[in-house]
Amino acid sequence: MSLEEFKNRDISQSNYYKVDIDEYPTTNSAKFFQVVRRTFKGEMFVGLWVVLREMFKFNIHTLQYPKEKLPITPRYRAIHEMQRLFESGTDRCIGCGLCEKICISDCIRIDTRYDESSRKEVSEYTINLGRCIFCGYCAEVCPELAIVHGGRYENVSEQREHFTLYEDMLTPIDSAINGTQKEYPGFGAITPNESVKKTPLAY
Amino acid sequence: MNKINFKLDGIDVEASSDETILSVARRVGLYIPTMCYLKKTTPSASCRLCVVEVEGVDGMILSCQAKPTQDISVTTNSEALIKERTNIMKLYSVNHPLECGVCDKSGECDLQNKTAEFGIDQQSFSAKDQYREVKEWGLLGYNPSLCIMCEKCTHVCNEIIGDDAIEIEYGGYSSTITPKGSDTLDCTFCGECIAVCPVGALTSSDFHYRANSWELTKVPSTCPHCSAGCALEYEVKNSHGGEKIYRVVNDYEHTTLCGAGRFGFDYIADGSKDEMKLQSAVDAIKGAKAIRFSSQISNEEALMLQKIKEQQGLKLFNEDARVYSKFTTPFSSLATREDVKSSDAILILGSRISSDNPAIRYAITEASRHRGASVVNLHPIEDALMQNVITQFVKYEAGSEEGVMALLVQRLVCDVDDATKRYLDSLDDGYLSAESNFGEDELDEIAAMLSRKESRVIILGADLLSHPRAENIAVLASLLQRYAGFKVLVVASQINTVGVSLICDLDLDDKSIDGTVGYGMPAEFTISYDDSADLQVAPLSQQEGTVVTLDHQLLPLNVAVEFNGYVLNDIANILGIGKRDTVDFTSELPQSAGFKSTAFDLLENFYQHDGLDTRGYFIDQTESGANSTLEDIEDLAEFNGTVIYRCDEVLQFNALTAKCAALGADSALVGSAQFAVAARVSDGDLITITSAGTDRVREFKLDNTLKGTIALEPMVDREPLSLLGRYRYEKVTITKGSCDE
Ligand code: SF4
Ligand code: SF4
Ligand code: SF4
Ligand code: SF4
Ligand code: SF4
Ligand code: FES
Repeated sequence: MSLEEFKNRDISQSNYYKVDIDEYPTTNSAKFFQVVRRTFKGEMFVGLWVVLREMFKFNIHTLQYPKEKLPITPRYRAIHEMQRLFESGTDRCIGCGLCEKICISDCIRIDTRYDESSRKEVSEYTINLGRCIFCGYCAEVCPELAIVHGGRYENVSEQREHFTLYEDMLTPIDSAINGTQKEYPGFGAITPNESVKKTPLAY
Repeated sequence: MNKINFKLDGIDVEASSDETILSVARRVGLYIPTMCYLKKTTPSASCRLCVVEVEGVDGMILSCQAKPTQDISVTTNSEALIKERTNIMKLYSVNHPLECGVCDKSGECDLQNKTAEFGIDQQSFSAKDQYREVKEWGLLGYNPSLCIMCEKCTHVCNEIIGDDAIEIEYGGYSSTITPKGSDTLDCTFCGECIAVCPVGALTSSDFHYRANSWELTKVPSTCPHCSAGCALEYEVKNSHGGEKIYRVVNDYEHTTLCGAGRFGFDYIADGSKDEMKLQSAVDAIKGAKAIRFSSQISNEEALMLQKIKEQQGLKLFNEDARVYSKFTTPFSSLATREDVKSSDAILILGSRISSDNPAIRYAITEASRHRGASVVNLHPIEDALMQNVITQFVKYEAGSEEGVMALLVQRLVCDVDDATKRYLDSLDDGYLSAESNFGEDELDEIAAMLSRKESRVIILGADLLSHPRAENIAVLASLLQRYAGFKVLVVASQINTVGVSLICDLDLDDKSIDGTVGYGMPAEFTISYDDSADLQVAPLSQQEGTVVTLDHQLLPLNVAVEFNGYVLNDIANILGIGKRDTVDFTSELPQSAGFKSTAFDLLENFYQHDGLDTRGYFIDQTESGANSTLEDIEDLAEFNGTVIYRCDEVLQFNALTAKCAALGADSALVGSAQFAVAARVSDGDLITITSAGTDRVREFKLDNTLKGTIALEPMVDREPLSLLGRYRYEKVTITKGSCDE
């Protein structure tokens, strides 16, 4: 069924049917006989046989996680990534602190400083993933398209407090410079079909 | 005063003769946008945003400086006005850097707000941009590209602070702000220009790019450094380094801070709890004969100490508050800084006010600039910082304050009672004048000046309080209050000197006594905010409580950053006289001393939009019935040889300010060229200063702005006990080198 058909289907006319449910036994003897009947019917072996049959047919649908992973949708909101500017590779984050302010679970901490070249530099930036609810607000508010959500959804940890650091989220410099950094198409991203110009910093 | 009636947007309004159209409009709640207006200074009239139209008058007039005349009709909003204002806003935005994202001012920037308010989304003007160099001036940074030339900074520096350290370098589109007459800024670094700057042009170097306004939480409190207790707000943020104060700001329309309040906050302690230490403190108090404490404590702590005294039967020592209390007894009531601001004649006696109490200095500057007040400074050492406002400087000999006061009283009082008259007639003014070096001509000049003045204030400084003849000086000064129409302001030395003097029943400090516990003061067992103390407790900025300023105003303190150790209340609780929280004592402060029964949580701490001060409450000054008798003037002490004056640098007040990195405390002895010759030392020499049995090694620094033969020695780093009860001037011997091994 296509999405269109799926949305327009008329559930009153489709092939739904009611399952027959027997009357529940009321007398004690009837209840007793039902238990005995069910116990010796061997339904469990029916189920086991199905599994065994499928095993021999090598027709397995189970995903071999973690060897196999499902592709996730582009707008899925997993662990954040920090983007760089094209060409120059300079960090996009300007340290405005809006993400820290908007974060609904108060899990972003950012410290900035006046650096040697008189610019504002992010000196420390952490997100406590144990608290993050992956709402995407930070990505939406970021005026620089610096913080975005990536596809890394595996964040098991031995403790509740599980931090990710700025350096770990930052795009590797070479992939920014050779143009393999991907723009995030999800929440808070640039409007589709709008061209992203190369940064004027690389004149 | 006659009232002026006129129409504002069709409404009938009434104005007093000193009000401008803008202030009337603000009073009645009509909005006129402004960019350069600052209530506490004269209008700089540079932004032209406040334009209004007056019926029958061609063109637009500036409402911030124009006063209304009878029956005019003023329009504050019309199409033409909106167009004019919108164009001004567009002009401001020509070449203005698009850096709100990183700018320190973003979120509280007038330009940002007004650009949004006027909906400036396109630009119809342009100009060739030019290179503008970013400047770093010590604690301040200046970015001329962001500057909108509103001139607020130069106005506060000149009219409120009195440093007059920055000026406008006119050059049309390339105008900038520059330090006056020098390449770098050499001022007292109050940082008030940073506060008033409506954009991010003037910034605090320490705070620059460290946080944004929306990340910071404001904690309104009171500055704990000097007796003025200025209103301030700590801006704190909890980040990677734990909770920290990022900067201090003030409600600059109504208050002013000095640099100690603004930049002196990095002494914050974490504290820790150790039951053993607490118990040993309790044991020490139980076994003590006396508690010696400082005035850097809250009223609640003072009350607890008083209760401990009553319970344990020990003595309470606080020389600072005891001396203040004795000194102020003869006066019927004491003046406030507001009285200074609204006076037209000010005498300053016995204080280097620019470093002793910057807030009083600012009040004097305001009186001088806005009311044309005459200011006479009587002191042995001339103060270059005050030269912009001083109209007469009288130099007397160190030690002769009693004589100077007697001469002033003799000349200035009239209609005195018989006994006083006989006393004054019997004074040997020839001797006093000769010994104090306070001449007839100078007295004449003061008297002539005062004859034209109505509201007079005399400011009595710490030199007098520490003088061996302090009490008689005070009695003499009270005659000026009674018979010469002077209001008297006594410069209390520390934040809560006044509060302690009202709450505690103090004993004369017997330094030789054994078994002392110190609270903020050194003793055998020391409890203080210093981490090297036997028990560390929270400093004032990390406690809730109240203090009483020299204006006799009770003000609340709030916790800037949490302290995890003990407070005095924990000790009091073990002794059985504590309460759940320290501030539960606030409503129990003695009403007999003028306190009210208001609970801490009901105390406000802000200024209303119209400038009304709602902070805390004013203490009722109880009229003291003490019948003080005049004593004969003692022979005036002579200070010959090498003399030093205990005086901290501007912005240094105590051990806490000395810890603050931004304030950069310097331990050098500072003297004039004349002093250097007399003491045979030269700039940069390492010297040993010896007085009354104590030695200290310091560097000598030559200061060419100083005059005379008295050098200035810092006190923040001196052992407090060695200074107890000592006059501020000292005869010392100076030897080169540190030969005291
Ligand atoms: S996704 Fe939401 S909860 Fe997570 S860091 Fe961003 S704003 Fe905070
Ligand atoms: S909102 Fe974007 S630019 Fe601003 S601090 Fe966060 S990541 Fe950096
Ligand atoms: S001064 Fe104001 S308008 Fe200019 S960059 Fe800073 S915040 Fe933005
Ligand atoms: S530095 Fe700030 S206060 Fe001074 S003129 Fe420029 S914008 Fe105005
Ligand atoms: S040190 Fe004194 S003058 Fe300076 S801000 Fe604090 S209270 Fe005000
Ligand atoms: S407020 Fe009147 S000119 Fe700026």
